[in-house]
This record gives sequence, C-alpha cells and structure tokens, in this order.
Amino acid sequence: MPDDVRGVGASLLRKEDERHLHGRGQFVADVKLPGTIDVAFVRSPHAHARIRSILVPPEARGRVFTTADLPRVKPIRVTSHSTGAKSPPWPPLATDKVRYVGEAIAACIAPSRGEAEDLAAAVAVDFEVLEPVVDPVRDMRGSRYPVHENWGDNLYIEHVLAGGDIEVAARAAEVTVTRDFRMQRQSGAPLECRGVLAYRDHRLDEVVLYASTQTPHTLRVALAEILDLEERRIRVVAPDVGGGFGPKARLYPEEIILAALALQLDHPVRWIEDRDEHLLTAAHTRDHHYKVTAYADRQGRILGIDAEIVVDAGAYGLWPQGPYHEAGMVARALPGPYTIPNYRAKHYTVATNKTPLGPYRGVGRPGACFVIERLVDEIARAVGREPNEVRAANLVRPEQMPFTTVGGMRLDSGNYAESVRLCAELLDMPAIRLRKQRGEPDGRQIGVGFATFAEQTAHGAAEFAARGAAIIPGFESCTARILTDGSVVLMVGIQSHGQGLETALSQVAAEELGIDAARISVRHGDTESTAFGFGTFASRSMVMSGGAVARASRILRDKLCRIGAHLLQCDVADVRCADGMVSGPQGSVTIAEMAKVAHLRMDGLPQGVDPLLDATATYEPAISTGVYSYATHGAVVAVDPETGFVELLDYAVAEDCGTMVNPMLVEGQIRGGVVQGIGTALYEEIPYDEAGQPLVGTLADYLLPGAAEMPAIKIGHLHTPTPHTEYGMKGMGEGGAVAPPAAIANAVRDALSGLGAEVNETPITPRRVIAAIRKARAAASKT
Amino acid sequence: MTAVRFQINGVAIADDVPPRLSLADFLRERRNLTGTHLGCEHGVCGACTVLVDGEPTRSCLMLAVACDERDITTIEGFAGDRVIETLRRNFHRHHALQCGYCTPAMLITARDLIRRRRAGSEREIRDGLAGNICRCTGYTNIVTAIAATAEDIARETPNA
Amino acid sequence: MIAGGQSLVAMMNLRVASPGLLVDISRLPELSSISENSDAVSIGACVTHAAVEDGQIVDPSRGLMRRVAATLAYRAIRTRGTIGGSLALSDPAAEWPAVLTALDAEIVARGPVGRRSIKCAEFTTGVYETNLVADEIIESIRVPKLPAGARWGYLKLSRKSGEFANALAVVVADHARDHSRVVLGVANGAPLVLEDTSRLVAGRGRDVRLAVAADLDRAAGRHFDEFQRNLHVVAAMRAVQQVLQ
Repeated sequence: MPDDVRGVGASLLRKEDERHLHGRGQFVADVKLPGTIDVAFVRSPHAHARIRSILVPPEARGRVFTTADLPRVKPIRVTSHSTGAKSPPWPPLATDKVRYVGEAIAACIAPSRGEAEDLAAAVAVDFEVLEPVVDPVRDMRGSRYPVHENWGDNLYIEHVLAGGDIEVAARAAEVTVTRDFRMQRQSGAPLECRGVLAYRDHRLDEVVLYASTQTPHTLRVALAEILDLEERRIRVVAPDVGGGFGPKARLYPEEIILAALALQLDHPVRWIEDRDEHLLTAAHTRDHHYKVTAYADRQGRILGIDAEIVVDAGAYGLWPQGPYHEAGMVARALPGPYTIPNYRAKHYTVATNKTPLGPYRGVGRPGACFVIERLVDEIARAVGREPNEVRAANLVRPEQMPFTTVGGMRLDSGNYAESVRLCAELLDMPAIRLRKQRGEPDGRQIGVGFATFAEQTAHGAAEFAARGAAIIPGFESCTARILTDGSVVLMVGIQSHGQGLETALSQVAAEELGIDAARISVRHGDTESTAFGFGTFASRSMVMSGGAVARASRILRDKLCRIGAHLLQCDVADVRCADGMVSGPQGSVTIAEMAKVAHLRMDGLPQGVDPLLDATATYEPAISTGVYSYATHGAVVAVDPETGFVELLDYAVAEDCGTMVNPMLVEGQIRGGVVQGIGTALYEEIPYDEAGQPLVGTLADYLLPGAAEMPAIKIGHLHTPTPHTEYGMKGMGEGGAVAPPAAIANAVRDALSGLGAEVNETPITPRRVIAAIRKARAAASKT
Repeated sequence: MTAVRFQINGVAIADDVPPRLSLADFLRERRNLTGTHLGCEHGVCGACTVLVDGEPTRSCLMLAVACDERDITTIEGFAGDRVIETLRRNFHRHHALQCGYCTPAMLITARDLIRRRRAGSEREIRDGLAGNICRCTGYTNIVTAIAATAEDIARETPNA
Repeated sequence: MIAGGQSLVAMMNLRVASPGLLVDISRLPELSSISENSDAVSIGACVTHAAVEDGQIVDPSRGLMRRVAATLAYRAIRTRGTIGGSLALSDPAAEWPAVLTALDAEIVARGPVGRRSIKCAEFTTGVYETNLVADEIIESIRVPKLPAGARWGYLKLSRKSGEFANALAVVVADHARDHSRVVLGVANGAPLVLEDTSRLVAGRGRDVRLAVAADLDRAAGRHFDEFQRNLHVVAAMRAVQQVLQ
C-alpha cells in the first residue's frame, strides 16, 4: 500500500496509540472529581434466599442505601415480543428475595473504596435460605422453589425452529451420529472491570455518568425510563473502555444505583469494580447444554440435524435484549454454512439461581459451531472420509448464493470451500502428517482439527425483529462537521473500545472527502456530543458507522463542490474534491478556504447554499438480515495422553470479510478473538456447586490465556466484497472467537483417534481429556 | 497513618498514608498517576506493574508504606528512556495495542526483558510476558514489537 | 509479619486476611544475608526468588534452585516474593517447601529465646500450617551443598506458565552415596516424601511406577482423586527419568 493512500484499504497506524503508549488513556477510574465518594455493595452470599431483615449499624445511618432509601429507582424490565417470553422484574437492589450469589442488596458510601467495603461487611442481612435451581436441564419445567415464583416453571422462553422434515432425514439416514455437548459458563473478563462515576452537573441540569460501557446512548434510554428523568437531563460518557466484548453492552443495576445516588446526594459517587466482584456479578456467558443427532448418507452428506439446546441464563434478564436471543441464535447458526435440508431445534432458555447471562464475542455462534463442526468430524469418521472432504461436500457453493440455510441465515456471498483449502495450506498439512507418522519422542499425540463457520454481521431490523427484540439496533449515525479551518470532526454513535475506530472511521471520511485522515477527529462514546447510535457489539460498527460516515461525508463533499465551483466560477460538473481541495479547470481552492467562507465569510456562498459544513446521516446496509463473513480455522495440538495436558502448536485462520478498511486492524481483531476462543476452548470456566455457589473467584483459578501458551496465529485472506454495504465491507470483530473451541476439540479428537477418545465439552481441561480416554478404553475393552 | 518518603519518577515525595493503602492506589488516587492500571488486585494480570528500585513490581501487592525510601518509576516516568521510546515506536508500528489497558505495564515488562537480555527469541519473549495478560490483541503483535525492539536496541549498541 | 507481601497483600486485597498490625521485616539485613561454608549455604529468609533466579546467591543445589526460581509465578512477583515467605505460608502447591525438602534443607527459626533448627521435611505440618510458634520467624534456610556427581530432576505440571502447579515432583539423587530423595508437592498438605521411591532411585531401580503407587497408598490422611493421583505418579516418574538418564 503506497504511503499516500490513507483511505479505505490502508493499514493506517492508529491514532489511539499515542495516549495509551504514554499511559494517558482516560478510563473511568482515571477521571477525578473533587469530593468523590466511593461505593461498595452489600451482596448476597446465597444463591436463593428470602431477605428477612437488613440491619444497618446505627453509626452507619445515611451511608447505607437499600431500595427503600432510593425511592426513584424502579425495577429493570426487559421487553420481548417473542411468543411466550417471560420477563421478571429485577430490582437493582434486592428487596424481598435474592436470586444469585452476588446479587446487590445495599450500596454503602465512604471516602475510599476500602472503607466502603468495611461498611458493607458491617451490614447484617438475615436470610431464609431456599434450595436453589442450578441444573437447567433437570429443573426447566419446575422446582421446589422456582427462581420466579409466579412462573410455574423456570423457563424464560422455549421455541422450536424447524425446516424441511426431520423425520424424512431420520428415515433416509445411512449414518446416524448422536452426541451430547457442553459449553461451560464463563466470563467475558475484559482487563478493565466495570466502573461508574456519577455526579450532578448543575450548570447543565444533568446527571452525568462516566461508565465503562459499550452502549452509552441506550444506557441513557434505560436510565431515563427507570429513574423517570427526561433524557435531556442525563448525559452518559463512555471514555476509554478497557475491553468490552459483550458483557459491557448491557444495563447493570450498579449503573442505575450510582445515578440515583448522584441525584440524591448531590456529590460525585464512584463505583470501581475489582476482579472478584467482576467474576461474580458481571454478565456470565456461554453456558450451553446440547443433545444433537445428525443424519447423513454414506458419502457424508448431511440430511438433517435434530437438536435440543438448553441455555442456562441465570436469575434475571439483562436489558435491553434479555436472555432471549442466545438460544435462538444458536438454533439459527447450528446448521452452519451447510446445505442441510432438514432441521429441528428445540431450544430452552432457563432461569437458574446464578449470575445473569449476557452476550460475549460470538454469543450463540461458538456453541453452534462447536456442535456442528464436531458432528462433521464424527460423520467423516463414520463414513471413512477426511473431515474436510465432508465439509466441502456440504458447504454452500458460490453459485448457490444468496443461500438461506435451513436455520434461516441468508448467506450473501463467498467461497467457503476455498477457506477450508487455504486454512489447510497455511498449516502445512503434509508436514503435520509427517510429524504424526514419526511420532513424538515424549509420547505425546499430535492432532489437527478444523472448523468452518459463517458470521452474521451488521444485521439490523429484520434480524432483531425476528428475535422479538423491543429495541432494534438497525442503523448507525454520524454527524460530520468541517470546522472553520478545514479540520474535520466525526461524531458517531458507536463506541470504540480497542477496535481502532477512531482511525478506521477517519479513513472512510478521508476516502470520501479527499482530506488527510490525520486532519480528522472521531468523537464517540458521549451522548452529549454524538448523534444517537447503539454502540459497538454484534460486529456492526465498521459497516454501520462506516456507512454513516461515508454518507455524511458525501453530503459535505457535494456541498464543498458547490461552494468550490462558485468560488472558481465554473460548473459544478467540472470540479472534483480530492487532496484537500476542490479543483476545477482553471484552479483550485482548499477546503480550509471554503470552510472559512462557509462560516466567517458567508457572503461568498452561492445562492441557495446555507452556511456551515455540517451533515448528519444514518446508515443501514441494503439488507437487514446481515452480511456474512466466514472463515475456516485450523488448530494443531499435542496431547499428553498420560496427563491430559493439551498444547497448542499452531493455529491458522483463512477468512473473508469482504473489503477491509484497515487490514492491520482486521488482523488484530482476528488474533484477539482467536485467543479469547482458545480461552473458551482450553481454560475458562465458572462452575457452580449444588448450593449455587460459584467455585471460581479470582484469576488464580479463572485462567486467562497468556502469551506463553499461545501460538503465533497465521492468517490468510479471501476477498468477496458484499454488494450490500459501503465499499463491500462486512463485520468481522467476533469471528475469531467463534471457531477455536470446535477446531481445537477436533484436533484433540484427531490426536487421540488411536484411543477413540473425544471431548465434547469446553474447556477441554486435562481432567476431561483423561476422563475421555478412560471412557474410550472402557468402551473398547467391552467390544 | 504512617509517614513515608520516596521518589516517584525522580521527584521526592513525602506523605502520610494509611498502612493498608497499596502503592497502586497511592499512585492513582494521591498522585493522579493514572497510567498504572488495576485489573485484578491479586497479582495475576500484571496491569499494575511499575518499577520499584528498578525492578518490575506489582503495585497492587505493594503497600505504600513499604515503599519508604524507595525509587518508584511509573509509565509517566520514562522520558528520554531509549528502550521505552523504541518500544513505543514498535508497538505503534506493529499494532501491539488495542484498548490500551494492559499497555503501560506491557511496556515496563518488555523493557525489563530487553534489559535482562531475555528477549532473544519468540519463546523467550512469550515466557517473559506470562505475567502480563492482554485480552484484546492475542499477543502476536506484542511479541513482534518486542522482538523488533530488541533488534533495534542491539543494532544501536554494538558493544552492549 | 510481612516480607515480600506477594501472598499476604493479595489475601488482604481479597479480604481473607485482615491483620491488625503488620511488621515489615523485608529490609532487615540479617534476613537477607547469604553465607556459605564447605558443607552448606545459608540463605536469609528474605532473599527474593529473583535473587536466586539471577544467580546472586551461591547455588548449593547445582542449578536446581535456580531453575525452580526462574519458573515460579512471574518476574514481577519474584522481585519481591521471598523464600522465607513461601515457607512460612506453606501453600500446598508452592515450590520451595517441596524442593527444600528434597535438598534436605534446614530452617533456622528465631524467637525471643533464641534459634532452633527445623528440618524442612518436618517444617510444614499441613495446608498453610507449619510448626513455627507464634513468636518465631524464619531467619534463614541452610541448604547442604550437593556433592559433585549428584543429579536432580524437577517437574512442575501446570496449564499456564506461572500459575500454581497441578503437580510437582522433585528428585535429588547422589548415587555415589546411595542416597536419593523423591518429593511430591501439591499433596494436600506438607510435601510428601516418597520413601520407597527414594530408595528405588538411590539403587537405580526400574519399577518407579509401582514404588510411587505404594508410597501414595501409604500416605496417611491424604485423599487424592484418581486424576490427581495419576498426575502425581506421572510427575514423579518423569522427574525420576531426568535423573536416571
């Protein structure tokens, strides 16, 4: 890429880097206001209990707040339009009952966090402990003490998704493969935990919240509704956010309480979460149970899939979307990018006495990919073919596009089989086979595994309406403004928390306006200074916000051409806007000059052209069912059959996300996502015991992937621009995290193929590997 | 309260601190040096790493009172440091940061690896970064940036 | 008493420890001193893991201690954490109690009535339990020098670099003197000295797996599930293999 190309397609180095490399980032905890009081929460030690009384020590009066002390706070209510959806009210501070370990009961204030925690420890709560619901499969239809008493069962929602006729597939099957799968509960675990700083701004008559959130505008919507305040009197600022990944795209009780405290106490209040609080109370993620049967013919062509999906969604629904989408997403994604004709998925979203479940990079897709890609490998074994041959036999072909899968995903474009081939090439399959043949001197077994998937991105109205969502994040917005000196500000509704959008979006404007990206600032994350938008999640920002930036920039460009033509005294048709100026047959005028005219010398404007260079535009892709990126991942592992330890030797991604605005950023997102996926595959879980107690509480037992265990991740690209978006780009931020559990599980299966052991549960821990080997040996000795 | 005196980034500091105040909280709350970040407060994630008497140290596990008469260097204190400046250049060039939360500590740890000549291979660098979690980048580019820096430094100081 | 604070301050941050008074002993020069004579090296209790890693002490263990120090936790922990601190806490997954037991080290404890010497093998009495009495501190650790020709094996199994061990095995063998010691860490209590296995290794015997199994069976009051037990066996066997090669 030549140095002077700084628009779409350039691997422009990031503007964000400067402040972070010098430790000058501004995260919520870095914002200092005089007189700030710290907040700590009294939290439930029980999974399920009635609150009999809350005893606040007399010397602490006025410093401990329960629901009764915060009258303006109302319960959180998620609305779903899906048939049969049940939505429990969630009081931000528990009133008569607690429903998960960690549920907030009271807020304590003190000059420092440590003293606030001291205070919280001094508050005595009297509980009547109840038997908790911890097994979603067993207890979905009811339990002695249901999570929500008036439900009659423990189901948020259940649904059947079907296409074709599964009975036809079952009858015609020459090969049947049935398996149980499990994705254990985990945390999204961004490095920066949550935090809120709230205060009253009397000059603007607003309550201001600095929050570590991915969705500032919708957070304002929620606060307005729950606190009964007009939105014009609320400002939400997401400053620098240290990773989000999904868990920070939901409303939390703590955000509501901090706003209420700020209003009531009229001095700044601050809650900065620490890691054990985060592991306990920030949204948990994944936690799926599956029972699936695949029917195939003897070539390995899949005739049908019959699935039961259970999502353990915890005690309450996280606003705005609640838990309703996760199981449905799994159901829709489970047939993968395959031309499977028959399908049935019964899915159940179950309430349990655990932390509420939220979205996390990939949401339902990693689980769906795990299931289908493991099944593809087992079908291949059953019919005596290579897994990638079976993949190729079932994958949608380019000439079939657009193709709506039996799960309802409308795949728009791409060559999926080519991604399989490219991925295998990146891993150097012949070398792997040779290594396997030679054997390892230490007795470990080498295995290679693949997984292919389609990633729905930048989906909008059609998709969210189909999910029964009450809030449809179907567009993004941009206000583009050229200031009097010709410098540019883009004000956008998304919220960049590591994705480099301050850089990538300026590239789009640079492309359209012909102005150097270095003269363009991007403002995001602040409801005060940006047009309404939904935030950054669901792999949507580059497409949606980039599209809005493009449209707003074009409006400005057209206006500049009209002004420039007037100043150059020629026809609008004869000028072009590029290189920071408008040029005509007899000369050129700089954008700075035109900006000065538009603001300071409006007497120079042509007839019919108003002053200012300000344009607001919204954008949604031409189709709202989503544009689909896709990839094949490949993993090479060494498994120690004596200890069960798994080492990742190599990892490759062959992906297609259409046009890449900034290839460097795309690759960064892929690698980051892959390592999180490896975390899901091998390390991360939060198990609960029978009493509903989480068994993991710190990073000493919640293992996050570290550099020492990760391979260098190889990436290859295919390029199929989609016709439905600006520049043909597709979202891709989550994809990296979707396939690793499947690819690694398949690699472990391959490594242990001599023993016939398979692990169909994440994380693939040494214990589970050894258990699988034992089980396979026991089965073998019976035959 | 206990009286302490120490150096932070070359500046002499005297203060009275509660005994249980961590160095991290002292730096962030009392000196407004917010480049040092907290990610776990139990010593695993590494985001709080600073230098104490020139050695990388978890500021979340160091009590401020224990810093009496010590020399503390935070990310704000490396002006003119050639290794840090080279690391910054290479982190930028190789896209070795995304959200930025782990970055100050990553730089301090990387500088220590280079100083101790433990950045000679990818394996060595990865092992040396075990105590610094990054949740965004997947580490590949961080390793590349550190390797490039080690090479740049070696090239610039042929007799080192 | 606080030395490096790498465990204690973490526990305070998690509110599982709330000491009323802390005395910082980390800078008492008596506790950081190192001395040696012909038989042994005395290492002050407040010598850091990093000091051992960096070779700042005379290594009586022919490289074992240095190897252990280099893979213990993370560098930023090692620059503050101390050997004495690790012993005083006696986390069952810690390295030093097992390694120093294998090296037949002695802990010199100091109290108001004077010093006493405690064999490392007897020092840890349970999970986070030692036989230090309330007014004693660890002053130094006396580690006998391994003779030339002695060999060692060390295996720490963990899924992630720097995390607590899932299994830990240390073997020290001096075949010239028909002596060997095989010790397991992560043993639900004090490090477990495998007596049969030790004798077998001293005699260059082959049936290590059987000996380890027998030693584990005999271990009183220790309950390992099958997975953990198997991990112990494998760790011990592999550590022994390092010595017998």
